[in-house]
Amino acid sequence: MTPPVSLAGVTFTYPGAERAALSDLSLDLEAGEIVALAGAAGAGASTLLLVATGLAPRLVGGTLTGSRTIGARRCGIVFARPWTQLTGLCSTVRDEVAFGPASYGAPREAVLEAAARALEQLGIAHLAARDPSHLSGGELQRVVVAATLALEPDLLALDDPAAELDPDAADALYAMLPALARAGTTILIATPDLDRAASVATRALALERGRIVRDGAPAMVLT
Amino acid sequence: MSASARAAGLPMAWEGVSFAYERGADVVRGVSLRVAAGESVVLAGPNGAGKTTLTRMAMGLVRPQAGRVSVGDWDVASRRPDEMARRVGYAFQHADQQLFARSVREDVAFGPRQLGRSDAAVPAVLEELALTECAAVHPYDVSVPLRKVVALAGVLAMQPAVLILDEPTAGLDREMRGRVVGALRRRRDAGITLIAISHDRAFIGEMAQRVVTMKDGRIAG
Amino acid sequence: MIGYVAGRSPLHRAHPYTTLALAGTVLLTAFAMTDPATVWVLVLAGAALGAIGGVLRSSVRTALLLSLPIWALLFVLYGLLGGDPRVMVGPVSLSAPGIARALVLGGRLTAIVLSFLTALATTSPHRLVEAMTARGVPFGRTFLLASTLTILPRMRERAAQILEAQQCRGLRLGGSPLARLRALGPLALPLILGALAEVDEQVLALDVRGAAAGVRRTALDPPPDSAGQRTLRWGLLALVAAAYLWKFWRMRG
Repeated sequence: MTPPVSLAGVTFTYPGAERAALSDLSLDLEAGEIVALAGAAGAGASTLLLVATGLAPRLVGGTLTGSRTIGARRCGIVFARPWTQLTGLCSTVRDEVAFGPASYGAPREAVLEAAARALEQLGIAHLAARDPSHLSGGELQRVVVAATLALEPDLLALDDPAAELDPDAADALYAMLPALARAGTTILIATPDLDRAASVATRALALERGRIVRDGAPAMVLT
Repeated sequence: MSASARAAGLPMAWEGVSFAYERGADVVRGVSLRVAAGESVVLAGPNGAGKTTLTRMAMGLVRPQAGRVSVGDWDVASRRPDEMARRVGYAFQHADQQLFARSVREDVAFGPRQLGRSDAAVPAVLEELALTECAAVHPYDVSVPLRKVVALAGVLAMQPAVLILDEPTAGLDREMRGRVVGALRRRRDAGITLIAISHDRAFIGEMAQRVVTMKDGRIAG
Repeated sequence: MIGYVAGRSPLHRAHPYTTLALAGTVLLTAFAMTDPATVWVLVLAGAALGAIGGVLRSSVRTALLLSLPIWALLFVLYGLLGGDPRVMVGPVSLSAPGIARALVLGGRLTAIVLSFLTALATTSPHRLVEAMTARGVPFGRTFLLASTLTILPRMRERAAQILEAQQCRGLRLGGSPLARLRALGPLALPLILGALAEVDEQVLALDVRGAAAGVRRTALDPPPDSAGQRTLRWGLLALVAAAYLWKFWRMRG
């Protein structure tokens, strides 16, 4: 079975940047892993998410050298700021969550089912008929995560997903991840919230200046 | 105003304030809260409890439909937000909406200059928050979390008597967080009044002299 | 008031293509026509559309605000620089044919603005997207069109947030024209820079959710259409074509 992501000696530089964001980075992920990425701002954690999901350099520009194999059939990514991830065109949460499955032309019933399932998973079925533009940051972030999960990605990248959430909602979000991983999804989380990350991660990487400086058990890496 | 007088904090009071948006849901219901000069209070509670609306009243961004808000001897109802900025430094949760200058240093100096105050405090604030290295960089060329620190620096540089902060540590990595908390602790110790909305349990432990929990528009407990 | 306003008027409930066709007919015909009678019929048609859409008062108000400077310019330009015969309006001598010309141009502008605003106010971006999706239009195009419709309300919201943030840093609103001009930088720059920064993230987020999938999207709630509406749209298209043909025939002859 192809691993979801395999990177060998990857160096990635953003367009117009002097310094490489990722330097000679090698990483093999396995299905069902939950990997926490720790590092100061600029260390490369967010960039690694973009490279692992194939969004860089395709949509972001820049140059990538080295070898990269993405075995994941479908990737999902969630950023910290929810409102920039909405289509802005959906008048209900249900439609927003259904946007992904609808994009792939699945039949209407299957689309609505996938949306309903994702809403349940995030505990926001009660928001289905609400207008996304009237939701709080916390509620909105859960909508965005639901919208990403509706596509059942094999590889899920999360960039500080709980930044807008209050402690209970943040706990609930992280608590969801082990079940997803058991079902086969590989999860990559970049976050400064090392305690929560450590509570669910099966592996942790510490990044510094675009390189992996530590790779191992969360308890050891994330102290 | 002399420098030492500015270093002292001012008391704040919300007296029986209420506010509801046009569409109906009451956001703040009959809240009364007094914060003594130099006190450090954290507002906690679930999203949607009314915390942000309450703090926005202090700047005159939201006018309560009932009740009164005062900062020291100023009644907020008779002041514009830019006047309130002379006494209250408000750090928004999302920094991007204010950054615009050619460089981090210029942006941090904007507040003091607008208030007609000297920008002599700017280099010290930049140093305190480890921004000296990127002082000449355009604010939008620094990382998103760092932009938040830049915005906070801009507020601290105005040397207000009262600091109101909406989620000051959200999204910051360990090092940035340490710097921010250190800067706030120094202000608290100097007697500045501090009111913060925060979900960060560690921050509450380190900084709060009093925790006020809000729920459904009211103060709980 | 520029932007979509929810409602239950016939224009709101019609298929989005029909609403756009009605407004577009007034708009396009106003571009072509130059004789006073037709122009005033078009202005009335534009107003009628606004009334049917339940947005007449706000549309007229906004239309006047937007077009007043141009009306003034037209009157000054054509009124002062036009030919004889001249007529006394108060202390000023204005050209009669000049005034007539200004009225026609102003009328065309007003008809265009009124119909455009009505279209904007009565077309829900969401329903338009659903309508276009049901017709098989690729998402890139629907997104572009629909985003253009929502851009103004979004900008307005952002601008309000930026205004607040800068006021809290001591920026005083109002004051001398020079002060207002200086306030433009701190207000406009975050608007533009912030919008650009957010577009980057949005492109990534939407791409991952299949916006560029290249497959025909599933429409979830396609707005109902009818044979009557389709006939109406073809009729309107024919009307616009006829108007332009007539214009070119007159220009030649």
